[in-house]
Amino acid sequence: MSLLTVEGVSISFGGLKAVQDFRLSLEPNSLCGLIGPNGAGKTTAFNLLTGVYRPDRGRITLGGRNLAGLRPHQITAAGVARTFQNIRLFPDLSVLDNVKIAGHLRSDAGLFGSIFRARRQRGEERAMTERAMELLAIFNLDGRAGEQARSLPYGDQRRLEIARALATEPRLLLLDEPAAGMNPQEKKGLRELIRGLIRRFDVAVLLIEHDMGVVMDLCQRITVLDHGVIIAEGPPAAIQKDPKVIAAYLGKPAEGEKGEG
Amino acid sequence: MDPFRRRTLELSPSRLVAAARSVLPFIAVLGVALGVHALLYRWQIDDGGVFFYSKILMDIGISIILAVSLTMVNGFTGQFSIGHAGFMAVGAYTGGVVTYYGAMKLFDPANFAAGYLSRSLPMDGPLFGAADGLFLAACLAAGLLAAGLGYLVGLPSLRLRGDYLAIVTLGFGEIVRVIIERSRNVLPDAEAAAKVPAAALPLHVGGASGFTGLQPFTSPFWVILLAGLTVVFAWRLKYSSLGRAMISIREDEIASQSMGVHVTRLKVMAFVVAAFFAGVAGCLYAHQTGIQLTPKDLAFQKSFDIVIMVVLGGMGSISGAVLAAAFVTALPEWLREPTSVWMYGLIALCVVAVFADRRLRAALWVVGLTAGAELLLTVARRAGIELSQYRMIIYALMLILVMIIRPQGLLGLNEVWEIGPFRRLRRTPVAPARGAAAPAGPGGSP
Repeated sequence: MSLLTVEGVSISFGGLKAVQDFRLSLEPNSLCGLIGPNGAGKTTAFNLLTGVYRPDRGRITLGGRNLAGLRPHQITAAGVARTFQNIRLFPDLSVLDNVKIAGHLRSDAGLFGSIFRARRQRGEERAMTERAMELLAIFNLDGRAGEQARSLPYGDQRRLEIARALATEPRLLLLDEPAAGMNPQEKKGLRELIRGLIRRFDVAVLLIEHDMGVVMDLCQRITVLDHGVIIAEGPPAAIQKDPKVIAAYLGKPAEGEKGEG
Repeated sequence: MDPFRRRTLELSPSRLVAAARSVLPFIAVLGVALGVHALLYRWQIDDGGVFFYSKILMDIGISIILAVSLTMVNGFTGQFSIGHAGFMAVGAYTGGVVTYYGAMKLFDPANFAAGYLSRSLPMDGPLFGAADGLFLAACLAAGLLAAGLGYLVGLPSLRLRGDYLAIVTLGFGEIVRVIIERSRNVLPDAEAAAKVPAAALPLHVGGASGFTGLQPFTSPFWVILLAGLTVVFAWRLKYSSLGRAMISIREDEIASQSMGVHVTRLKVMAFVVAAFFAGVAGCLYAHQTGIQLTPKDLAFQKSFDIVIMVVLGGMGSISGAVLAAAFVTALPEWLREPTSVWMYGLIALCVVAVFADRRLRAALWVVGLTAGAELLLTVARRAGIELSQYRMIIYALMLILVMIIRPQGLLGLNEVWEIGPFRRLRRTPVAPARGAAAPAGPGGSP
């Protein structure tokens, strides 16, 4: 049974049909890509999956549970975590606190327990710190746990964002352009990191990425969006040859040029 | 049971230790309050002039409650409320109604007296009086009613952000003021009060001319106790999972909700809690010696004073709010008879030399500000200007200077003990990871 099923999800803003009839099926522990030219609606699709936008139509189910219409924090609790296209860490807080905040949804701390530091809360705080440090160690960030998140180098901030998303214990991880702004060496590291995640954290990953090297290398299946509509879906090799995808990225050849190139 | 829960239980301290550590700060606050109260009381018997300092201490304590509680809204969740005095006014009048009419309705005047802890001036009286309990009940009622209104004002905060929310809170404060101004005359005695149905008594709070006849139950004991409780509350909140989640809203609301934080719930919670403490502060304010409770003293101007304290101290810093509250409250008293500032400048220079990140720049600012202040004082003295009348201009100047020198406020989000050498003295908050030695995926920094 597939982990995530998206059927016929659409949303429009005013007259603009941002995403139409979006569908997707993700197996557990799979790695899929979502690509498309700028403005194709990829991030809108992410925002629909994570509840930032409420779909006008369609169904989103995760492990049989309907997610459409839930609020973002409920969807996160149900097992969908994400990163952002332009990094959204909690910049003034420490690296450790960034990760611990993502663990808050597993906490049962009420106001009373927090103010009186009940026994349970003290244990919980220690368990949270411990788990966050384990997670940071996996991402080689444990040495910087006490630093302000804003002071990390760019690549570390990207990885911290992924670590933070994983701290919510997701079953599905949505990565919005994780390789953006990285140098080739960092990209190589990122590829291996993402592959490692799937086994280690037992998650499925859906990836938005412009770097075709990363996408083609990592993804088992790729969905291509253009103007809010899915124009192709399949394994990387097929996508690379798909004339509609090529046309979307490079533009259609003019009539007279047909057959020449 | 999932592994996290199991680990939570494994790491929980023993019941006895946990209970002791839970209540320790509260007991410490109670002890300090009793001690300071006893000392001041003793001194005043010897020297009546001490009351001046006792009064400033109480003013500062009330300001601390207000500033620290507003820090929970403006500093933690990053919402901009400028109607805090509205909650204070609600608390002040609620408390006033409870003690004034409560004393008439519930107690025989012969038995009704303030105990030792509710007397700020050395007067004859019993060790414990009925008024102590009534005053405590008044403070609680003040806080609860203010918290209820805090919930109502907090609701729009779910849809409004930034300036728009600020306008709503400002409007709330003004509505409270106008409603109180429309209230009827205070009933002078129990005979008059008996003619009015009990439910209508809260309508008789004096209108624009003020609530006369309130008794001075506010003492150093109550102020230190309640200010201390507020600080402990805020401090524990800030360093709890709940408080971290609140601060994450201020840092980035979208990321916060995507990490599973129930943003709407925490925003309203911050409003309710802050309103509660503002209400308590209002009750203390209303029962101070020499205070005539009028609605215009708790209008926008007062809200703005509190915002200044929070901004000066650093958005989100509890110790910053405490320091700024003390400074801003003591400043007008000092301006009445300004002394030379060279001494303070020298102290500030020492502090900067030890703590500041960019020492030379900070030192130059301190020298410049000290010289400027001294020049201002000299000019004012020569020209015979009463500086305390220009308090608001001086506040505004201070705010502008803070925005230029330290836009994040005196301490930013940090606490006093988190900056400079103190940080090294503290034990590191980072626990070593269990199984951290497991090889990481490549891509880490070298």
